[in-house]
Amino acid sequence: MEPAFDAAVVGAGAMGATVALHLARGGMRTALIDRGEICREASGVNAGTLTLHMTRAALIPYAMKGRELWLSSARWLGQDVGARAAPGLSLAFTPAEREMLEKRAAARAAAGAPIRLVTQGEACAIEPGLNPSLLAAAFCELDGHVTAYLTGRAYRQALLTAGATILEQTPVEGIEPEGGAYLIRSRTQRIRARRLVLAGGVWLETMLAWLGLRVPVKCLVNQLVVTERMRPVMRSVVGIANGLLSLKQFENGTVLIGGGWQGIGDPERGGVAAIPDNLIGNIQLARHAIPALGETRIVRIWLGLESETADAMPMIGPLPGLDEAYVIGCVHSGYTSAPYMGRLLADRLLGRAPDMPLFDPTRLIQPAPAQLEATA
Amino acid sequence: MSTAADIIVVGGGPAGAEAALAAAEHGLAATLLDEAPQAGGQVYRAPPRAFAGADADPAGVRLRERLAASTVTTRFEHIVWSVSPGFRVDALGPDGPASWSARAVIAATGAQERVIPFPGWTLPGVVGLAGATIMLKSDGMLPGEQTLVAGQGPLLLAVAAGILKAGGKVAGLVDLATRADWLADWRALASRPDLAARGARWRARLLQAGVPVLHRHALRRVEEAPQNRLRVAIGRVDGDGRPVAGPPLERIVDAVAVGNGLTASTDITRLLRVEHHYDALRGGWVPTLDAALRSSMPGLYVAGDGAGIAGAAAAAIDGRLAGLAAARALGAVAPDAYRSSTAALRTQARRARRFGAAMARLMALRPAQVAGISAETIVCRCEDVTRAEIDAAAADGARTVNQLKAWTRCGMGPCQGRICGDVAGALLAGESGARPSAGYFTGRTPFRPLPLNLLAAEIDYATLALPPPAPL
Amino acid sequence: MRFVFDGRKVDACLGESVAGALLAAGVRTLRTSPRAGLPRASFCWMGLCQECTVVADGVRRPACRTEVRDGMIVRPGSVP
Repeated sequence: MEPAFDAAVVGAGAMGATVALHLARGGMRTALIDRGEICREASGVNAGTLTLHMTRAALIPYAMKGRELWLSSARWLGQDVGARAAPGLSLAFTPAEREMLEKRAAARAAAGAPIRLVTQGEACAIEPGLNPSLLAAAFCELDGHVTAYLTGRAYRQALLTAGATILEQTPVEGIEPEGGAYLIRSRTQRIRARRLVLAGGVWLETMLAWLGLRVPVKCLVNQLVVTERMRPVMRSVVGIANGLLSLKQFENGTVLIGGGWQGIGDPERGGVAAIPDNLIGNIQLARHAIPALGETRIVRIWLGLESETADAMPMIGPLPGLDEAYVIGCVHSGYTSAPYMGRLLADRLLGRAPDMPLFDPTRLIQPAPAQLEATA
Repeated sequence: MSTAADIIVVGGGPAGAEAALAAAEHGLAATLLDEAPQAGGQVYRAPPRAFAGADADPAGVRLRERLAASTVTTRFEHIVWSVSPGFRVDALGPDGPASWSARAVIAATGAQERVIPFPGWTLPGVVGLAGATIMLKSDGMLPGEQTLVAGQGPLLLAVAAGILKAGGKVAGLVDLATRADWLADWRALASRPDLAARGARWRARLLQAGVPVLHRHALRRVEEAPQNRLRVAIGRVDGDGRPVAGPPLERIVDAVAVGNGLTASTDITRLLRVEHHYDALRGGWVPTLDAALRSSMPGLYVAGDGAGIAGAAAAAIDGRLAGLAAARALGAVAPDAYRSSTAALRTQARRARRFGAAMARLMALRPAQVAGISAETIVCRCEDVTRAEIDAAAADGARTVNQLKAWTRCGMGPCQGRICGDVAGALLAGESGARPSAGYFTGRTPFRPLPLNLLAAEIDYATLALPPPAPL
Repeated sequence: MRFVFDGRKVDACLGESVAGALLAAGVRTLRTSPRAGLPRASFCWMGLCQECTVVADGVRRPACRTEVRDGMIVRPGSVP
């Protein structure tokens, strides 16, 4: 039977949605499938930070491309998702932190990020809202932020315009190769596609297991905090040396506080509960960095699930031993680079040479339990 | 610092107070938390202690006396902002943050008001009916010199009568229901003759004062008028709440008190992700409970209007039932004693719930009420999100209220959707087919906006033990 | 008892809420909404809607749930 689709993308986060968008624009009949709604998990609830300060050094060239794409989203995505350029500062309040910043800024600068150390005075001139007790800061001109919750609406419109089929509320239960195509089964539907892209974030471990591939994916449960609207108190993206704080103020006056403080959750249950002590720790750091935050109120705390591979590097590329099956995900600072990473993989499927190397998932595949026994 | 308790009861209205009393009577360490300065909830809200000689409902006075004489630990002026599984309860009190661990939690958080938006409902001088009762009871003041009372449900009569009793003027009573609607439930009213008689007294008072009553009418809009007054347009509606064409009646008044029924306050159960179902006749989305008022999460009980609107009389009995069930689960009540003490309560509860159900029917949202909201009307007051913006998001494919929230900021402001949530769900249900598929706003902490400076003390950064950074 | 709202002295009774005292003193608007800039005042009177948010002695809180203290400095909760 002739498959209905040239390509099916399972997982409608920013990675999957970008791949689907470029495939549809490239002329493929494309289905984008999600158990929930488009960009409503990590891609819709993350802090929207565009930063090179926290990006792994090897990923900096990709993140810089991704940032450019977010900032020009009105042009290629068709809608402004609130992406704004802003200076980025990573703060050191102790000599040990200053030393940490020096080393890490040097490594990131070597990878192409325009990051340099600035003095206390320079930092306070860039960001007058800072606590003046800081010792030094790493400064990057090329940071910024996106209003992540707008992502889904923008992608949805772009995908429909490009002629893609969006299948929301369609939890996939299994996938199997079938006569040179893939059969994707949900409770109510059977979808056949010539090519398959798995883009399931923290659910990638489960998705890859459908195809008999064993790849452990770690799930981080990040707590995020937002304040009510307040007077302008900061204009940059602010973090601290070890990354446990990320702060930005949006145009609407709300301040988003993140930094990877953990809540309770897992891929099976999603985000279960915020941990009050971790909230308090996080906002203590926030108030220390920008003292004026003491004036406002916290209105909402939520959780976002972030995926990570064993080596904390992405998996993007064809799956070994399978014809026309691909994976994309587990990208550190993944939201920043999603529009670029997605385009790279789409290029590969469309038979164009990607501009930058992909990240071969083969290195992460563990032997199946049966194979383990055989080798023992 | 965390304090250990057997049972934490959140909410000091009739349900919560009775739950805590029942648990304490069986030797359990029960702690009752409420944000008000005294127990009573909204229904038996106490006048401030300083208002000597102020008129308090005797039932509320008795409740407060019994609590004071019991072993229940009470913590008032504590805003509960989080309940974590397991359980941990966090609150912000007069002396800063406090937390408790508990083996069981009884959520008795009561009801909140639904108001169907109309142009001008955000103007100063327009208040909720429940808000008006609080002004009368707690602040001893009138909403205005001349108040128009509008909406649906028993609070209409209570507020109008309360205003007259306090010496104010009621410019008119605008009621969605007809006289016949009110009388349709006479059998249920007979189940609580005391409460039915109170309703009759309220009506008599209105009649005596010559208050004009407009049945099958609703507010169309409110505008500012000279001298800080309000110009109100009132129009006819049909039995479904659909506006009927025709010129509006206009009135100039000082204040408008308006409400369209109560919805269950479900902050805790939504946060803990227990099972809920949609029950239009009991105030919308409510937690699914068994006969012992247990939710789908072991150790979490729900009593009172927060479990579905049933009124104060039913709340008190259900509170006692929940307190006993929790005490039974913690081994403080023997099976036989539990059976005998709950049997009589259950009979009383059935009767009280019948009356509550009749009142809830008068409050229930009518099918066409939200359909009549005009495009330019603000639905989400915090973020000034209009009906037109909600419709545009729906046209773009938003099918659940959480998606709507992300796309429009409806429900994202300081009230976190507590005021607009029910109406937003009803509006989206028109698109997604039904209320259940539109869903409800995911429960999040904090339950109330938390002043950051009260929660996060200033720190000595040098003494922090911060973990190492992520790999480079 | 007396407190200050937006630079103006307001008389109040012991135990009264800031919202109640301001309404009694004829103050109708407690803040403007941040997006449309519309006037707002207490609506739910139970600390839920946050429409009557003021800054009372440096803390943002609903006026209906704030008891007046003698000498309290209160300003509108509007955000510029």
